[in-house]
Amino acid sequence: MIPRGVRYALSGISWPVYALLYTPLALVAYYSFSPAPNQTGHSLYAYGQLMHDAAVFTALRRSLILALGSAATSTALGTLLGYGLCRFRARNATGVLANIPSLIIYTPIIMPSLVFGISELIFFNFVHSATGFLGAGLQTMIIAHITFQVPYVALTVYARLAGLDPYLFDAAQDLYADGIKSFLYLIIPVVQPAIIGGFLLGITLSIDDFTISFFTAGPGSVTLPIYIYSAIARKGITPEVNAIGTLMIGTIVVLALVHFFITRHRERAGQFAARGNIA
Amino acid sequence: MSAAVKTEQEIESGRQRLRLWVTSGPGLVWIMLFLLLPSAVLLGIAFFSADDYGSPVLPLSVQPFQQVAGYSLLGWDPGNIIIVLRSLEQAGIATLVSALLSYPLVFFILSRPASIRPLLLLFIVLPSWTNQVVRTYAWMELLGPAAPVSWVAHILHAVPPDLGLAPGRFAVTTGLAYNYLPYMIVPLYASAEKLDWTLVEAGRDLYAAGLRLFWHTVFPQTLPGLLSGIIFVAIPAFGDYVVPQLLGGDKALMIGSLIANQFTETPDWPYGAALTIIMLVFTGLGLVGFRVLTRKLGGAEEATI
Repeated sequence: MIPRGVRYALSGISWPVYALLYTPLALVAYYSFSPAPNQTGHSLYAYGQLMHDAAVFTALRRSLILALGSAATSTALGTLLGYGLCRFRARNATGVLANIPSLIIYTPIIMPSLVFGISELIFFNFVHSATGFLGAGLQTMIIAHITFQVPYVALTVYARLAGLDPYLFDAAQDLYADGIKSFLYLIIPVVQPAIIGGFLLGITLSIDDFTISFFTAGPGSVTLPIYIYSAIARKGITPEVNAIGTLMIGTIVVLALVHFFITRHRERAGQFAARGNIA
Repeated sequence: MSAAVKTEQEIESGRQRLRLWVTSGPGLVWIMLFLLLPSAVLLGIAFFSADDYGSPVLPLSVQPFQQVAGYSLLGWDPGNIIIVLRSLEQAGIATLVSALLSYPLVFFILSRPASIRPLLLLFIVLPSWTNQVVRTYAWMELLGPAAPVSWVAHILHAVPPDLGLAPGRFAVTTGLAYNYLPYMIVPLYASAEKLDWTLVEAGRDLYAAGLRLFWHTVFPQTLPGLLSGIIFVAIPAFGDYVVPQLLGGDKALMIGSLIANQFTETPDWPYGAALTIIMLVFTGLGLVGFRVLTRKLGGAEEATI
C-alpha cells in the first residue's frame, strides 16, 4: 500500500523520533550513576544517599497512598457512573437536559489542570476557614485526584458496555435476575477488564500529575513529585533527584510492559480458545 | 386496558430513572461538588476587590480585569498581552511540531506488521506515563549548558557561551511538544487505521503521486483525527504550568505561571481569577472553533457518550 521509497523515508524519520523520546529519560538514568564528591567514574553513590533519606521514603509512602486510595475510590464511582449512563439513560432523550451528564463528565478532562488545581485550592481554603474541615493535606489531594480520575474510569467502562450485545441484558432478565443480581453476576464479570483498566489508568494519572497535587497539597503532605520539584527549586538537579527520577521511570516502564504482555497473552489465549470452539 | 399499560410503562420508566440516579448520581455529584462548584467560586472571585493580603473582599469591582488589560497605578503596561500572545505562539508551535511529526510516525507504525503495531504505539505513549516533573527536568538536563546539545548550539552561535538552550523559549516549545506528542499521535492513529486505501489507489490510477496524492486522498480521511489531536495538544499546552516554570525562565513566561504567581508568590486572588477567565475564554474559543470546523469538514465521529 505504501511504496517502498516512502517506507524508507518513514523509517528514517520515525526511528530518530523514537530515540529522541527516550534520550532525556536515559540521560536522567545516566546522571543518577554519578560518582561521590571528589571522585570520578560511575557509582551507586546517589542511590546509597537515597536509602538514608527518610523524607524520600515518607514522600514515596504518601504518593502510594494517594495513588491507590484515589484510584480505588474513582474506580467504584466511575464504574457505577459508566454503567448507569450506558444502561439507564433514555436513548432517545433530546434537549438540553439529556446532554448534562456528558458535559459534567467531560469538564474534568477538558479543564486545564492549572485552573483545576487553583479552583480546588480556593474551594478547600474557604471550606476549611468556614467549617474547620478539609484542611489542605493528603485528604484534599485524594479528593482532587478522585475528581480527575472518575471521568476516565467512567468512559472506559462505558466504552466496554456499549460494545456489548444488548440482548445479554434481556437474557439475564429472562432468567429472573433483578437489578442487583444482574449487576453482580453479569455486569461485573463482563466489565472486569475495563474496571481493572480503569483502576490502572487512575493510578497512572495520579502518578503523572503534578500541577493539581501541587495546589491541593498542604505543608505536611509532600509527595514524591512535589519533593522533586522543591528540591530542584532549592538546589538544582542533584544526583539524588536523578536517582529518584530513574526509579520512577523504571517502575512505570516495567509495569507498562508487564501489563501490556499479560493482556496480549490473555487476548491471544482467548482468540485461540474461540477458534477451538468453532472447530 | 390502555390506561393500565400506560401506568406500567410509567412505573418502568420511573424505575429506570431511579436506577440512573442511584448508579450515576454519586459520580456526577462528586464532580459537581468538587470541580464545578469550586471553579464557579474561582470565577466569582474575579469580580471582588483584593485586600492587602490579596484575598477577595467586598465591594465588587472590575479592577482585576483592568489589571489583566495592563492598567495599574503606574499606567498601562503591555506585559500581560505579550505573555498571552507568547503563550499562544509557544503552544501553537508545539502543536504544529507534534502534527508534523505525527504523520510520519503514524504511517510508519501502520507500515509495520499488525502484530507489533501495539508495541510501537506503546513506546510512543510510555514516556507520557512518567511524572511530568521528571519528564521536564530531564529536558533541563538535556538542553542545559553542560549537555552536548548546547555545545552544538555554541558552535553554531545559536546561544551565547556559558548559556544553555534551557531555560528559554526553544526549551519551552520543545518541552511542550515532547509532553503532548502522544495526545496527537493516538487520535491520528485511530483515524489512519480506518483509512480507505482504495481511494489512494484510485488517486494513483489518476496519476497523482507524492504530496499531491497524500493531500487529496490521505489527508481528508485523517482530518478528524488531526483535529482532535490539535485540541488535545493545544489546550493543555496553552495552559501548561510545569514546562514554562522549569524550562522557561523569565523570558519565556507563559500565562500559566502568571496565574499561579497570583496564588503563591505574590497573592492577588481576584487578579489571578480574572486571568483564569481570560485563559478559559481562549480555551473555550479554541474548542468551539474546532468543533465548528470539524462539523463543516464532515468528520463528526467523536462524542463517545
